Amino acid sequence: MINIKNLSKSYNKGSVKAVDNLNLHVNPGEIFGFLGPNGAGKTTTIKMMIGLLNSDSGSISIKGFDNQKQTLEAKRNIGYVPDNPDVFDRLTGMEYLNFMADIYQVEPDVRKERIKSFLEMFGLNDAAGDLIKSYSHGMKQKIVLTGALVHDPALWILDEPLVGLDPKSAHQLKELMRKHCDKGNTVFFSTHVLEVAEKICDRIGIINRGKLVAIGTMDELRKGEQAGSLENIFLELTEQ
Amino acid sequence: MNTFLTLLKTSLNVNFGISALRHRFIKQKRRLWEPVLIGVSFAFGIGTLMALTSAFFIALLIAGKSMGQPEIVLAMGFVSAQLIILMFGIFYIMGAFYFSKDIDILVPLPLKPSHIIASKFVIVMINEYLTLVPILLPAVIIYGAGTGQGILYWIKALILWLATPVIPLAMAGLFVVILMRFVNIRKSKDLLAFVGGFLGVIVAVGTNFFFQRMPKGKEEEFIQNFLNTQSGLVKTVGQKFPPALWATKGLAENSPEAIGYFLLFIGTCLVLLAALLWLANRIFFKSLLSGQEVNRRRRSVSQREMDGKYGKRQSPVLALFWKEWKLFFRTPIYVMNGLVGMVMAPFLIIMPYIANKEAGAYMFDIISNPQYTVPVTLAGVGVLLLVTNMNIVANTSVSREGNMFWVSKLIPVPAKQQILAKVLHSIAIVLIGIVVTAIVLAVILKYTPIRIIIIVFLAIIGSFSTVALNLMVDVLRPKLEWTNPQEAVKRNINAILGMLASFVALGIFAGVAAMMVFMGAPEWLVYTGLAVIMGAVAAAALFGLLKLSEWKYKKIEV
Repeated sequence: MINIKNLSKSYNKGSVKAVDNLNLHVNPGEIFGFLGPNGAGKTTTIKMMIGLLNSDSGSISIKGFDNQKQTLEAKRNIGYVPDNPDVFDRLTGMEYLNFMADIYQVEPDVRKERIKSFLEMFGLNDAAGDLIKSYSHGMKQKIVLTGALVHDPALWILDEPLVGLDPKSAHQLKELMRKHCDKGNTVFFSTHVLEVAEKICDRIGIINRGKLVAIGTMDELRKGEQAGSLENIFLELTEQ
Repeated sequence: MNTFLTLLKTSLNVNFGISALRHRFIKQKRRLWEPVLIGVSFAFGIGTLMALTSAFFIALLIAGKSMGQPEIVLAMGFVSAQLIILMFGIFYIMGAFYFSKDIDILVPLPLKPSHIIASKFVIVMINEYLTLVPILLPAVIIYGAGTGQGILYWIKALILWLATPVIPLAMAGLFVVILMRFVNIRKSKDLLAFVGGFLGVIVAVGTNFFFQRMPKGKEEEFIQNFLNTQSGLVKTVGQKFPPALWATKGLAENSPEAIGYFLLFIGTCLVLLAALLWLANRIFFKSLLSGQEVNRRRRSVSQREMDGKYGKRQSPVLALFWKEWKLFFRTPIYVMNGLVGMVMAPFLIIMPYIANKEAGAYMFDIISNPQYTVPVTLAGVGVLLLVTNMNIVANTSVSREGNMFWVSKLIPVPAKQQILAKVLHSIAIVLIGIVVTAIVLAVILKYTPIRIIIIVFLAIIGSFSTVALNLMVDVLRPKLEWTNPQEAVKRNINAILGMLASFVALGIFAGVAAMMVFMGAPEWLVYTGLAVIMGAVAAAALFGLLKLSEWKYKKIEV
């Protein structure tokens, strides 16, 4: 589903290497957790995957489409939720969802059904007619999430998706992620909550100073030199 | 005191973007020419206004001297300066005290309310000195120089100049703090911004109307007349707002009585300021919190709406167009700068001819003279294109997306389609301006219907090129880093650069039209030729714009 080859990106005219020759392969049907300390290169990698940033070198393919050459095809297969749920706060929730559905050309009947079920699930039914600027952080997170999933993309890319969600919504999102992957799709998400990653991820990648320092299932990570909980593994790998 | 100074230093830094500017110009060395251009345009704007007010004050001084009351110049200067500051001060103070973003950061800090209020007060006051430049500065200088005042006058003038905003702003502050304690205006913030902006336009139009009524070469006569009929007004206003008269008396004379008035003025400043700070310590936080209550009423979407307006699929371009449309009309500052100015402009342009009867009659003679059909029609096209070009819709179209630009980068819609939606949105807004101006031409200037049709037709074709050129500038160098929508339109140099770029197209059109008229081309050929040239320039500009956007959108990183 995702194939990243020799990806590099630097800032400040090359003086700061944010991502350094990254190679990563994420399979269909996988929930992939992308971990790393602050400033390790997680968000930069994600932003390059969805086209918000250009890479200095290397390539990214999404479901077989090169995201530089077949940009639109690659984008159509992605549903992205940023770490900061800033959206058009002078649109109502429903106007925003309808806008996203139009952009992704979702059929009217399909969109109605999907939007209805998401709004119900996230408890946003009563606020869908309000301007987004009146929403709380968590509500904004949910409306952005709904907007990102309304076209049922094969690949979900979620940057810190659980921050700001109440326990019930967080639980529902985790279930949705599982269901989505069980249908042969993929979820790629970054998080700082190691317990969540340990529990729901099929595979985990740890990035530090722009380089992938570990990748594998929890069992595979434990078999390495580091043993114990994901927290121990994380701390040991990222302190080096 | 130390805490206050630290707060003030930081507030000044944040409000005037000192660190940000230093970073950009000294560290990054980007856009070094920008402050020069801003400075020149600013000086030009203020300079023009100062020339007008100076002419008025000089005439007023001559008239006042002949009546034995030259100090009418100072009275007029102080009264109008303080009234304008009071009027706008209410909005500025409300914005600074209650709606600024940093309030939520400052309140939890161990700061006295009076410290917060005082730091905000200083910032508003510094901004107000700019308002004083075209109004009070000419009055003080013209009176001082015109009556040969000594050094003491200039020292007092400087102190009074610095103190002038204090009384009206402190009064506005007291009013606002008390009002906010009892009325929850916070939720009507947008309406407030709109009312404030609209007031600005009314004052601008009113001032313009006043100066336009002053006949050229007969200014003194006009002022004499004005004083005979209106001096009562100045007096009344002065009596209702005595500090302006205290300042006048304190400055104009050197008697002990005058020093008394001078001290009374300064004393009043200090007392009002102290009262504001005292009140702030007592009720500022309470009034701030009473405005923080969130409106809990929620609106759901009915099944009917789901099936009706949300149950249809539209193309991405249309979806983007409606998004632009809604965001534009729901952001008062955009409407103020993008629409209100454009709709008021035709009235401003014809105002001299209504205010001044001689000029008006001359104008009507020309318009109704069949000999001038072609130039009059072409002038109409020119007016429409100029009016519709004076807005920020196209030239800040990409900038207005700000930190929402990630959506534009993310969605699977080619850049050229996204830009096409922006072109359509800009044209739609421009059409409103075209319709209003055409109505003004038809109703007030009595243009015939057939001429109006020709003018509107040509103006629409011409608008495509001005919109495309304006947009090109914003696509090339969008200003995406802003926190307040005001920065996207008012502090965006693209607004000026876009207009300059489109003047190139307007120049070409004017040149082609003039050439055809001078060569004696028949009427139909002039319009057809102009339409063809406008169409060709529009097509080329649109083509260039779409190509440019494909290239540039890839380069922009967010």
